[in-house]
Amino acid sequence: MLDDLPEQFDLVVIGTGFTESCIAAAGSRVGKSVLHLDNNEYYGDVWSSFTMDALCARLDQEVEPHSALRNARYTWHTTEKESETDVQSWNRDSVLAKSRRFSLDLCPRILYAAGELVQLLIKSNICRYAEFRAVDHVCMRHKGEIVSVPCSRSDVFNTKTLTIVEKRLLMKFLTACNDYGEDKCNEDSLEFRGRTFLEYLQAQRVTEKISSCVMQAIAMCGPSTSFEEGMQRTQRFLGSLGRYGNTPFLFPMYGCGELPQCFCRLCAVYGGIYCLKRAVDDIALDSNSNEFLLSSAGKTLRAKNVVSAPGYPPVSKGIELKPHISRGLFISSSPLGNEELNKGGGGVNLLRLLDDEGGREAFLMQLSHYTGACPDGLYIFHLTTPALSEDPASDLAVFTSQLFDQSDPQIIFSSYFTIAAQSSKSPAAEHIYYTNPPTYELDYDAAIANARDIFGKLFPEADFLPRAPDPEEIVVDGEDPSALNEHSLPEDLRAQLHDMQQATQEMDIQE
Amino acid sequence: MHGRVKVRTTEEERERKKKEQALKVRAYRAAMGRIQKKREAGELDNEMLSLTVQILLRNPDVSTLWNIRRECVLEKLSRLKEEETACETPSEEENQTVEDKTGEKKAAAEDKSHSIFTCELDLTEQCLMVNPKSYNAWHHRCWTLEQNPRADWQREVQLCNKYLKFDERNFHTWDYRRYVTGKAMVPAAQELDFCTEKIKVNFSNYSSWHHRSLLLPELYPNQQRDRPMSEEKLQKELEMVLTAAFTDPNDSSAWFYQRWLLGSGAQLDRAPRIAAFRLESHGAVLALDKPYPDIKQLKTELVGGGQTILLESWQPVDKRGTSWKCQQNFDYQRNSAYSLSLSDQKVDLLPLSGPENGAYYFAPPHGTASCSKDLLAELQTQLQSCLDLLEFEPDSKWTLLTSALLMRAIDFSANHETSLAHLAKLEKVDSLREGYYKDLAARWTLEWELAKWPLSADFPKRFDKADDVLLESLPYDQYLVIADEITLPKKLRDKLGESVPKTFVDLKLQS
Repeated sequence: MLDDLPEQFDLVVIGTGFTESCIAAAGSRVGKSVLHLDNNEYYGDVWSSFTMDALCARLDQEVEPHSALRNARYTWHTTEKESETDVQSWNRDSVLAKSRRFSLDLCPRILYAAGELVQLLIKSNICRYAEFRAVDHVCMRHKGEIVSVPCSRSDVFNTKTLTIVEKRLLMKFLTACNDYGEDKCNEDSLEFRGRTFLEYLQAQRVTEKISSCVMQAIAMCGPSTSFEEGMQRTQRFLGSLGRYGNTPFLFPMYGCGELPQCFCRLCAVYGGIYCLKRAVDDIALDSNSNEFLLSSAGKTLRAKNVVSAPGYPPVSKGIELKPHISRGLFISSSPLGNEELNKGGGGVNLLRLLDDEGGREAFLMQLSHYTGACPDGLYIFHLTTPALSEDPASDLAVFTSQLFDQSDPQIIFSSYFTIAAQSSKSPAAEHIYYTNPPTYELDYDAAIANARDIFGKLFPEADFLPRAPDPEEIVVDGEDPSALNEHSLPEDLRAQLHDMQQATQEMDIQE
Repeated sequence: MHGRVKVRTTEEERERKKKEQALKVRAYRAAMGRIQKKREAGELDNEMLSLTVQILLRNPDVSTLWNIRRECVLEKLSRLKEEETACETPSEEENQTVEDKTGEKKAAAEDKSHSIFTCELDLTEQCLMVNPKSYNAWHHRCWTLEQNPRADWQREVQLCNKYLKFDERNFHTWDYRRYVTGKAMVPAAQELDFCTEKIKVNFSNYSSWHHRSLLLPELYPNQQRDRPMSEEKLQKELEMVLTAAFTDPNDSSAWFYQRWLLGSGAQLDRAPRIAAFRLESHGAVLALDKPYPDIKQLKTELVGGGQTILLESWQPVDKRGTSWKCQQNFDYQRNSAYSLSLSDQKVDLLPLSGPENGAYYFAPPHGTASCSKDLLAELQTQLQSCLDLLEFEPDSKWTLLTSALLMRAIDFSANHETSLAHLAKLEKVDSLREGYYKDLAARWTLEWELAKWPLSADFPKRFDKADDVLLESLPYDQYLVIADEITLPKKLRDKLGESVPKTFVDLKLQS
């Protein structure tokens, strides 16, 4: 099989993570010959989703100096409350028995319904490969409790946590934010240029509760966020409302690992070649032809351009990695928050956490079986924060205690790991483009910007992921599309037309 | 090259659409021609049914075709009847077995007619997916169900649920829902719950507020009949609707519903009530609170002085039919108590003071409705919320109007000046409806004047409204028919011209 591989490519992409897949698809889409390789036997690299077995195996894997996933450990918990009479009592064995029902993300994300990725998926027509669930609740911690933040107009109407005057103030504030920019000369907002968003919020006479809704969940800012930045974030949130469901967010069904695969699929449709479990042993630049020579499995391939994910040998040899994101992944048999937040078995809940000083933050995503990411009756908690140290558990301790000390969910499995990034650009990488490791962000904006940037450098003239046509828009060359005839009518109409013409002809003759 | 994929240009696409359109027109014309010929020939057969289906599925708004289908259905049904009666010619000896057989045949015939109806229902269902607001399709559905003695009304309710999920604001569906829930005998309480759910999803929905307004008076009747529903429920409704109004004050649906809640709950079709009445020896005048085309249809009786007199020969005093005179001689007895009855309403008359003989009755148009402590407290809370809101948004149209209405509901005479001030402000902030507010101001002013009138010295002989408060019109003028003298500002008198109200003296009952 391997011998059938062509030897010459416009672009070789190493690693099938989100950013690499994006670049591979974009290249293939504009007619470049693309070879996409991955050392792993699965797609997605650190952007992948795993079954329960596979996650444990991945976390057990030996860490090499260049591994992006490190500091991993996991624990199975036996719950004391376990009883014989409990029909749905989960333990290590029963969870592992349903291993294939899990899609456990290393890098879970939530998409803004009108955000960069959704726009890109629509624009490129890759959206037909993906399925989403609207996030059910955007939450915040208020006085130690997890409460739902009213997002939409009907949320504001239905919520019992705000008084009617508060409702009016919140709606008015959000409308003002939404309209901001349409008339930038507005005196009210001009005054706040260069000041903080919090100052602006306080000047709007909103109550403490509304202020936390906006700061924690809607604008997602801190006390030092600038007015302009806060406005922009609020607008981003509001701009995504009312598109799908009740919140401005979407979660990919079956986990975020699906997304890189959607791009890979488009790449393959346009002729890209895929090889998993295939490492590149060495790369050299042929100064005569200005091409890269890649040796892989005893074969030499020639490539005009090479893009690689960080952490892949041999290109990352000698690169020092440092912790970038600290992750916690928990499986529980009970959800977080009250019944209201988990109606009918729950869906996807998003919660942004802040430490007591407000200087550090983390995102929590709670997934139920409706996402297709775990079996019915279990919940996944994904906790993500920017790394401070080589110990993800201690980085997350302040947040796990906020979550688990009071509500005490029935946790069955807990794991911690670090996603690392290189601390400096490799000097050997002058001609090879390295993608960035996953950034700490909610959506994929930075990853897309990174892919767009690299693609623009590779092929400055080309369009980045133009719309791929639907099958019915494609005609096979040689047919004259304007020679439309009865055959292109819907079948029933055609039959009817035929009958009619015959019938009227007959009648004319009779008359 | 053969088999190369190529994407159609917009030019080609347009050309293709044009051709498709032309073919469709041809097919439509042919089918219509065939249908007309068949109808002239009286061929109301299956072919006719299938011909009309083809067109109706594409355009459900061709009334003619639905009419033809109804003819076909009736034709089919009468054929079935004929077949049935043709079988019913049993001979004496076989009587027993034949009865069984006819029983079977009857069931088979019923099944046949049922399948005819099912076919029509399926068609309308498909057509409503094409155009959910097709009057024709909805009407045909109702007609079909009415024809079918075995109609499944419960299924129709489910269908409404489904359609209202697609579009919760389709008034056709709501209207149809009222029709089928009546037939299916769905309990009003269950309907109210359904309605509440829909409002929670999106309160900007005139149809569901209207649906509520029909259910509530039935479920929670008001004993005094001066409020739309029981005070306890009214309080809750007021609370809910104000929440909606505060969430989005620019959405008029909530404000409209609130206005209905604050009203008297009077039904449009209720019988007129006695507004004013004056009697003397030579005749009587009667004013009604609402126009009535022919007072002779209402039985008017005068009881007193030991006799019952039927008042007849009424003549209209105005063109609207709100005031009437009757020239009839009575033997008026000064010391006797009189009462007047109009249909089921009976009122006691008061003797005129002074030397003249005669009696009168007067009920001002704005009676104070019953108001329990709790309801009053709710109204006051709501007013306070509105006033709070006006502090933030002093020009909010709906808030200005509603607070005025709330003030009047609480104590209309004490708040008279303030509510007029709100109207004056509304004329400025909502100048497009200036005339409406002026009219409303005139009505409120007259209501107030008429309420004060019985306290004046020469009541009911003199009505004095000489102050220079500018009135746009003179509503409730029929109430003044019992006065001998009416003083109006000159400007208003000029404006009214011919339509200055007639006084009791003007009517010249003696002559």
